[in-house]
Amino acid sequence: MSNLPQNTFCGRTRREFLQQLGCGFGSLPLLDLLAKESPNKLLHAFRNDPMAPKQPHFAPKAKAVIFLFMYGGPSHVDTFDYKPKLYPLDGKSIDIDTKGRGGTKKQGRVVGPKWAFKQYGQSGKWVSDLFPHLGRCVDDMAFVHSMYADSPLHGSAMLMMNSGRILSGSPCLGSWATYGLGTSNQNLPGFVVMLDKTGGPISGAKNWSSGFMPAVYQGTVLRAKGEAILDLNLPPGMSREEQRRMLDTLLQQNESHLQARADDTDLQARIQSYELAFRMQAHAPEAIDIVNESEATRTLYGLDSPRTEDFGRKCLLARRLVERGVRFVQIYSGGNHNDNNWDAHGDLVYNHTHHAGATDQPIAALLTDLKQRGLLESTIVVWGGEFGRQPTAEYAEGTGRDHNSAGFTMWLAGGGIPGGVSVGTTDELGNQAVLDPYHVKNLHATILRQLGFDANQLAYRYAGLDQKLVGVTGAEPIRALV
Amino acid sequence: MVAQQAAPQDWWAYRPLQRPAPPEVQNSQWVSNDIDRFVLARLLARGLQPAAQASKEVLIRRLTYDLLGLPPTPAEVAVFVADASPDAYDKLVDRLLQSPQYGVQWGRHWLDLVRFAETDSFERDTKKPDAWRYRDWVVDAFNKDMPYGQFLTWQLAGDELPEPTVSSMAATGYYRLGIWDDEPTNRLQAVYDDFDGIVDTTARTMLGISMGCARCHDHKKDPIKATDYYSFLAFFENLKPYNSGVDGISASIPADGAMRDHETALARFASERLAIVLRARTFAETAYAGLSPAMRVEMLDAADRACIASYSCERTDPKLLLEDRGGPNGVVKGQAVPVESETGTALRFDGDDRIDLPLLVRNSFTISFRVRSTQTGHGRDNEKGWFSGDGLVDGEVPGIVRDFGISWQGDGRILAGTGSPETFLASSSGNNDGRWHHVAFTRDRTTGRIALYVDGILAEAGEGNKDALDAPPKLTVGGLQPGGHGFRGDLDELRFYSRVLDAEEVGAEALQLRAGIVAAMAMRKEAPTGESDLRALALLRRPQVEKVQVLCARERSEKPEPSFVRIRGNAMVRGVEVKPALPEVLSSKTPTIVPPADGRTSGRRTALAQWITQPDNPLTWRVVANRLWQFHFGRGLCRTPNDFGHLGELPTHPELLDWLATEVVARGQSLKAMHRLMVTSSTYRMQCVVDQLSFAADPTNDLFWRFDRRRLGAEEIRDSMLAAAGALNLQLGGPSIYPPMPAAVLATSSRPEEAWGKSPPDQAARRSIFIHQKRSLLDPLLAAFDMADTDTSCPVRFATVQPTQALIMLNGEFAQSMARTFAARLQEGGGDLRAQIERGLAITTCRTAQPQDADRLIKLATDLRRDFQRTEADVLIRCCLVLLNANDFVYLD
Repeated sequence: MSNLPQNTFCGRTRREFLQQLGCGFGSLPLLDLLAKESPNKLLHAFRNDPMAPKQPHFAPKAKAVIFLFMYGGPSHVDTFDYKPKLYPLDGKSIDIDTKGRGGTKKQGRVVGPKWAFKQYGQSGKWVSDLFPHLGRCVDDMAFVHSMYADSPLHGSAMLMMNSGRILSGSPCLGSWATYGLGTSNQNLPGFVVMLDKTGGPISGAKNWSSGFMPAVYQGTVLRAKGEAILDLNLPPGMSREEQRRMLDTLLQQNESHLQARADDTDLQARIQSYELAFRMQAHAPEAIDIVNESEATRTLYGLDSPRTEDFGRKCLLARRLVERGVRFVQIYSGGNHNDNNWDAHGDLVYNHTHHAGATDQPIAALLTDLKQRGLLESTIVVWGGEFGRQPTAEYAEGTGRDHNSAGFTMWLAGGGIPGGVSVGTTDELGNQAVLDPYHVKNLHATILRQLGFDANQLAYRYAGLDQKLVGVTGAEPIRALV
Repeated sequence: MVAQQAAPQDWWAYRPLQRPAPPEVQNSQWVSNDIDRFVLARLLARGLQPAAQASKEVLIRRLTYDLLGLPPTPAEVAVFVADASPDAYDKLVDRLLQSPQYGVQWGRHWLDLVRFAETDSFERDTKKPDAWRYRDWVVDAFNKDMPYGQFLTWQLAGDELPEPTVSSMAATGYYRLGIWDDEPTNRLQAVYDDFDGIVDTTARTMLGISMGCARCHDHKKDPIKATDYYSFLAFFENLKPYNSGVDGISASIPADGAMRDHETALARFASERLAIVLRARTFAETAYAGLSPAMRVEMLDAADRACIASYSCERTDPKLLLEDRGGPNGVVKGQAVPVESETGTALRFDGDDRIDLPLLVRNSFTISFRVRSTQTGHGRDNEKGWFSGDGLVDGEVPGIVRDFGISWQGDGRILAGTGSPETFLASSSGNNDGRWHHVAFTRDRTTGRIALYVDGILAEAGEGNKDALDAPPKLTVGGLQPGGHGFRGDLDELRFYSRVLDAEEVGAEALQLRAGIVAAMAMRKEAPTGESDLRALALLRRPQVEKVQVLCARERSEKPEPSFVRIRGNAMVRGVEVKPALPEVLSSKTPTIVPPADGRTSGRRTALAQWITQPDNPLTWRVVANRLWQFHFGRGLCRTPNDFGHLGELPTHPELLDWLATEVVARGQSLKAMHRLMVTSSTYRMQCVVDQLSFAADPTNDLFWRFDRRRLGAEEIRDSMLAAAGALNLQLGGPSIYPPMPAAVLATSSRPEEAWGKSPPDQAARRSIFIHQKRSLLDPLLAAFDMADTDTSCPVRFATVQPTQALIMLNGEFAQSMARTFAARLQEGGGDLRAQIERGLAITTCRTAQPQDADRLIKLATDLRRDFQRTEADVLIRCCLVLLNANDFVYLD
């Protein structure tokens, strides 16, 4: 070690040094600056504040993401992918290759779309009668009609949509966003998940796990009513003033402990974390308290109707959270099993009427509200499920459709993504993506691109590899959208 | 200038192990053992001095957490501080290494590495069968100081030992710990994903090499080729994949020593039974003889009235089963050939033979018959539904309906039950001994009670539905009604009664007493208390071989299928054929594979274990020495303990690492000997001091000029809170526990009401390693404090600091309840507030309380009493909460 090369950090190359910090990405101006000042300061800056705001690879178009996850898999041919040729085939058996829960099939009975489609807006996009409110927003929406994924089964498909892989253990999109960007408001979690009132999706916490990254990057479950975050509320009988006194004593005890250990920034950070928690106890309830929202806003989101109240409140909270600097918000429509989510195996009409009815107005309200507040420019709204559904029936009788990961629709809005556009198509029955197919990884790369990252460069060092959301093979963003 | 390319074998970690001589150093009075020579030489070369020795209070806390994961009690601290003998520290080390809690702490480190969890992840996140046995085996192996080579060998090939035991089989649960998609999009690919988890975990954990990338292509930095990956995989490829069902991934095997105990118990049982039978016979004969002829007739009539159908199988017809008195006949499907029996003739069923009977009973009834077989039936030990076995008398209808049946399962176990709700009864096994056994199944519609007797012994009783059992349209003898599960063996004396026979009546039937029931009724008259020998018979217990379900390695056959490279990791695309072999860069020898004599497995995994554990393996011993160092000192000598390849870090003290590696082998691979060596070094006993000069020269302490402070791990924090509260239950082992899970966390599960169990409070207060490890539902406190992610091998835990941790520690129900229990404990100890707070400080900081620390808390208590009108008890609870949140509780010097 006598001949240290120039420009090294404690004998390690800069690359090695950054890797050791769990920080593998290419060029980071902030860290560069710190590194020039003192390598040791850099170490501590990163270790103590992994959520500090960070600069991405290039100037970001979006600062936040709201991912509206339609768990269970909405039927694209009944919602946003207009297939006129499908209607007259209703009830007819045709040769068609499908793969779903029921396995691989060569034939099937067509279920004609159960709703009529109309053209909306300047762009004339087709939207089914399930979404009359959203229809009025099409000029802000970009449709990807040619999505495909690796698995037509919920467990693995959910993991793929959230973490890019069909196996569990990898960080979610929200983890990557907060890892890459940090958060601009530490009084609130950077990555927030709101679940359906009927329960979580299958695989539960795996869907918002930070996998091999530290737990700071995992999603925090936020409840729309009552206690917003686990253990946020003071215990019964305890007032804020009383807790403050306790924290003051704790602070004194910790400061006294720190005296002989003054160089230990972890101890300092932990002292700070109690002050942050104390502030969070004030800020998080404020973030979910909609008492100051106007009557017009409440009506816009459908809070006056039992049908839309629940999802409407969550959409409104999403706006409030983004306003307050939260980086990534995910809202689940649908939870639990069977018809409690969009998994319409039996009665498509019942299922989709229920779920679309609960979400159409709230989502349209979210887009409208974000836009009128100037937040849509910097917020990406994403809509979709883990896959779509087949044009043919699953069972001998009924309107239920099986899963379809070979072709489905997702849409995005805001965050610099052009509105009123469509990319890619499925075949004329909506069975498979045929023109410009886009994998889930392309969707992820698109979202990361708008946040300022090259998905092929944003990496986290784990198990000897530069791990990426888009995997070793990488993926390009959808060019027409960025 | 381009450096000359070094040979791949020349990489530091692949080089043959050499034993460097510990360097000579000045200042040798600091040196306690050879470790210190290596460390000191490097320090002195950089002009640095080691930090002074830590105080005894610091040392006992450091050592107790390090070895047990628990804090020392104030009494233990006092004893150690007062012990002025020169070997006080060594005695402490010995005491701690003998504690069974040592295995809990060090077993936890290993569980992180092998990604231990008890469920499969994915949609259903199904519970693995008895995965806790693997966890217990690990804890026990550490406690017994199993030599490290044996520890690895048992996990890799404990089933291939000459005489496998429950322990050695449980060790191979190693292969079944990973994630598994029960509904994969591509089955074959999923099987290879599972194998990849095994290859990856084995390579990283035992050898410190990353093979994962070579699944798709030759490793870009390390000399590991795709052929190396698939040759390595071939050692495991004959394992039954996870998707082969419970039978493929686990086995039901006799508990250790159970067979010997069973022989003894069986002999005792036989003599007890014989004595009862003889007494009962004599009694019945006498009683019957004493009856008047009129009484005999009356009783026979009563018995006949209850018996609605009797098939004694004496008169035979190839197509019909004839009712003895002209009642409804059975229709024979197949053959049902008459064979000789102890009462004349019986009917033989060959697996395809069936007899259909009308639905003779549906309300209250008794079905009784004799059965004889040597065959093993369908179904496993742990399945109780009668429809898992071979049908004897069956009315099974698929679904949760009002059906019933009796079957022959597994190793001669009789099952019976009724449906809706599913209520199942089981006898002991071992009836497949070729002797005749009497079976009776009774059902009382008014109470729903059902009971199963074998040889007059009450096997089990339960409470089922109280409806008419009218789901089956008929009854089937010799198989299950929906088809399949045919019985192979003999049946005789089949009778249906329209009421519940009691234990004595059943006993009389079983012993074939003269006109069975009559005799029993007569006896009851003679013995009005009901305490007849027949009742004693019913209550006898046939001894069982104690069997345990073990998650373990099972192979497909003795002769494995050929193995192939799978091109770019695609399981469907085969490349060249490969044989089981070691990575080329590490060994050019062809492994010697000898299949074990029992013919169940290929012997491949034993061959792999032999190579991994041979004393000159360059990686195995370096890797384990590095891990031991890591857990004692906070970081490995090589900071990437799972990757000793080109993408990992270089060791800071390569000579020390090599010396330690040779020391593991030299000390009989005893990990406890290595602990003793490391913790008795002066290097280990340094303070966590601030020294500006050293800090400036070596800010990341690469040279070990001081001891590194660490935050306690997730389990250590929870266990310490329980210990402080005086509530910690130190019980070891057994099925996992379910401490209360906050409703808000349960709500994140897709089936909140079924997601978690409930343990009684004393069980919930056990150490965290025993908490059920469910991949999709984590204890919020453990998760917040960075417990290992269980999907891949976790070599180093994070130690994050986040505000959500503070929320859980301040407001969470667990923290609140610990503060309450802690306060109650302090109050019980008596004394005034100062005395109580001083005790609290001593418990949480493991040293004598300083006056100013106590003053601060007393002031808080006084202020809260005055300003918030709190009671004495309330303020103490709040003080306790402060103590549990303090940095000196959560950090370790």
